[in-house]
Amino acid sequence: MKILGLSAHYHDSAAALLIDGLPVAAVQEERLSRRKNDAAFPIAAIEHCLDTAGLEPDDLDAVVFYERPMLKFDRVLTTLLRTFPRSFSAFPHAMKNMLGEKAWMRGVIGSRLGISGRKILFTEHHQSHAAAAFLTAPTRSAAILTADGVGEWATLTAGTGRRGPEGTTIALDREIRFPHSLGMLYSTFTAYLGFAVNEGEYKVMGLAAYGRPNMADEVRKLIPRTPDGAFRLNLDYFEFHSTAKRSFSDKFIELFGPPRGPYAPIDLASAEGRRFADCAASVQLVLEDILVDIARDLHRRTGLADLCFGGGVALNGVANARILRESGFERLFVPTSPGDAGCALGAALFADRIHFGNPDRDLPDHGFWGPEVDGAALARIAGEDELPFATVDDAALIAASADDLHAGRIIAWMEGGCEFGPRALGHRSLLAAPHDAAMRDRLNRDIKYREEFRPFAPIVPEELADLYFELPPGGARLARFMSGVFPVRPEWRERLAAVTHVDGTARLQTLSRDFAPRLYDLLHAYGERSGIPILLNTSLNIAGEPIVCNAAEGYSTFCRSGIDVLVAGNVRVEKRARTEAPREEELV
Amino acid sequence: MQVLLKPLQRWVWRDAARRGLRLLRFAEVEADGGRDLVRASELTEDARLRRLYLRHASDERRHADIFRQRGMELLHAYPPGDLSLPENDWLAPGERGLDDVNVESGRDGPLLAFLHLSERQAARDFSVYADAVGGDGRTRAVFERILRDEEFHMNYTRSELARVSPRKQGALLWKARLGRLWKAYLRFAVALAGLIGTVVLTLQYFLLLPLFAWISRRAAKREPEGWRMISPESARDLRGQY
Repeated sequence: MKILGLSAHYHDSAAALLIDGLPVAAVQEERLSRRKNDAAFPIAAIEHCLDTAGLEPDDLDAVVFYERPMLKFDRVLTTLLRTFPRSFSAFPHAMKNMLGEKAWMRGVIGSRLGISGRKILFTEHHQSHAAAAFLTAPTRSAAILTADGVGEWATLTAGTGRRGPEGTTIALDREIRFPHSLGMLYSTFTAYLGFAVNEGEYKVMGLAAYGRPNMADEVRKLIPRTPDGAFRLNLDYFEFHSTAKRSFSDKFIELFGPPRGPYAPIDLASAEGRRFADCAASVQLVLEDILVDIARDLHRRTGLADLCFGGGVALNGVANARILRESGFERLFVPTSPGDAGCALGAALFADRIHFGNPDRDLPDHGFWGPEVDGAALARIAGEDELPFATVDDAALIAASADDLHAGRIIAWMEGGCEFGPRALGHRSLLAAPHDAAMRDRLNRDIKYREEFRPFAPIVPEELADLYFELPPGGARLARFMSGVFPVRPEWRERLAAVTHVDGTARLQTLSRDFAPRLYDLLHAYGERSGIPILLNTSLNIAGEPIVCNAAEGYSTFCRSGIDVLVAGNVRVEKRARTEAPREEELV
Repeated sequence: MQVLLKPLQRWVWRDAARRGLRLLRFAEVEADGGRDLVRASELTEDARLRRLYLRHASDERRHADIFRQRGMELLHAYPPGDLSLPENDWLAPGERGLDDVNVESGRDGPLLAFLHLSERQAARDFSVYADAVGGDGRTRAVFERILRDEEFHMNYTRSELARVSPRKQGALLWKARLGRLWKAYLRFAVALAGLIGTVVLTLQYFLLLPLFAWISRRAAKREPEGWRMISPESARDLRGQY
């Protein structure tokens, strides 16, 4: 059975193709369109998925959209009615937005793909999140928790999932509904702190480490707990439900002070900068406390050992680590793409296993479902630009790369299919030595062009992770997809300065050989030279751009930044003394 | 036309906060343009053009940084809550200000023609803005510095167009001019339609919705707080959009 899953129109649109219950391809539209967080209908992603399998749209048995558009429209309209007449300026905007294309997805998908409307199915948003989290995890039964800004009405759901020869069930038995939302709370602070909503949430998490949660009581006023263990938002402090212009109210500003302008630098040495860091630390703490409480209750109710966590909130690695440590669950699974892009895969899996009742299949435990990189394409481009390049076997490539890294060079490392999800897990990564804080500053200044308070992640062989990091039971598994933040052991912090955040933690990735064999060997080769088999691993992109996908994009990133070596497949390109584009007089 | 618009431009650029916001807007336009050029460099099969596009892209990013820095300096004295970027700035530089570049594989000729016209327009605009900022010497210096790069961009796009499409260069330039006009019309039409839509919807909001709003608010009061139990039967059927 051939099932295409789609997510689109809000942020991170994507497509994922299942054939006989297994993923064949899955990719975010942004990786192909090169527009970060591209929310457009994912036509390029669909084409990639179909081309990978050699299919035409007519060959598909079903196309599954990741949410129910009319239910979403119902929520938008009801919210506007409830905030009448304050919502007068949001109403035209929302109606034009919804009624333009978003509400008519059956017709849109049918016309774009040229297929019958009968083949088009719709899951609920949080069902898609739940399926993406549970059906990709190596577990037979687990509690399921999903949390994000909002889907149709639900903002957080809880339940259980079971799969096996007898069939698959996903039973979400309770939910918290809009406007009461952990995701909206965090996004409101994201906006207040001057970052882009749906993009800058991880900056808030990074900034939180610099602050003290001394405004946690104020944040708790915004999100009082209900007697049944849930929460509600005190809407006096918010405006996201009544206007499109601002998500926080004047009362919010009275409580926390003036917001940060999006272009104002964050000076952590100033009182204002510290106030913003304290705000971030406070909302982070409150978010964690609530999630831990809800997860603990879920553990008590289900008695299950595993928890699968999906939705955009599951990208918060600090909260994930606390859930693992404090909720009672033994293992916590977060998929490679817990956000909306992952819903494309989740929707397809939900339809396959539950709607069509197809037999359970174990999925490969990785997220490399995107387009493959072509080393020959890189060799051609580098040759045209007269850059030194070589096609080498794996052993020589690993030895040369380990030497480069040991000498302080930065490597852009591309191999195999690109990652499905926001993390670079070793197939589209920038690698560097993790020992020196100067390396972190160099990466921020010469390559990533981003705020200096943001940390970089380490990658470590799974079997050695415990030596360098304080991992709770289940921590190594959570770190497989870089989903948890854990303390660096104090004795290693100085020697891992480039990847140790200001609070002594790191968002590490544990690597097993089956996951990425060449990178695993590179870690060990580097360890033989440096004494520590750990590398700094960050996504291969420049600020404001999506992670690179193909060799030409890797090459342009290499040319425009301070990367020293570019590897694509078995092709290795070095930067000459000058690889900047030629000067004007040379060209014209 | 330029002479007639001079007083308007002087008025637009007179206020420091407005000047700062416009420069921040220009920074975004330049950064977007840089990304388009990066994309062009990734798609072209022509090695020489690839190098030129990359050089052009890094110029655009540098311009974005310069505009952003100067914009921030100008806005330093204003509380951030009082300032917000205009969603659409019709007076943004012509370079991708009035239409979007269409970067496609194997279409260097049309892209070069488009870039040439855009850069020429941007050079004209920046020259006008440099005059319009009056006594603000530092902002004028920003425009003058960027203007030098724009001249290079204008020249290389023209000479490369002659190289890659020697016979069709004139036609491509005319096509690009018409394309810009058509897109400008489309943007105007969309903006006008949006305005009309806003007026009609706002009228409907106040005329049709009050009763439903009252009912909806009453219903909201009866809704329990906290967890809602979900019926397991509620979402079995995937065929419906509801």
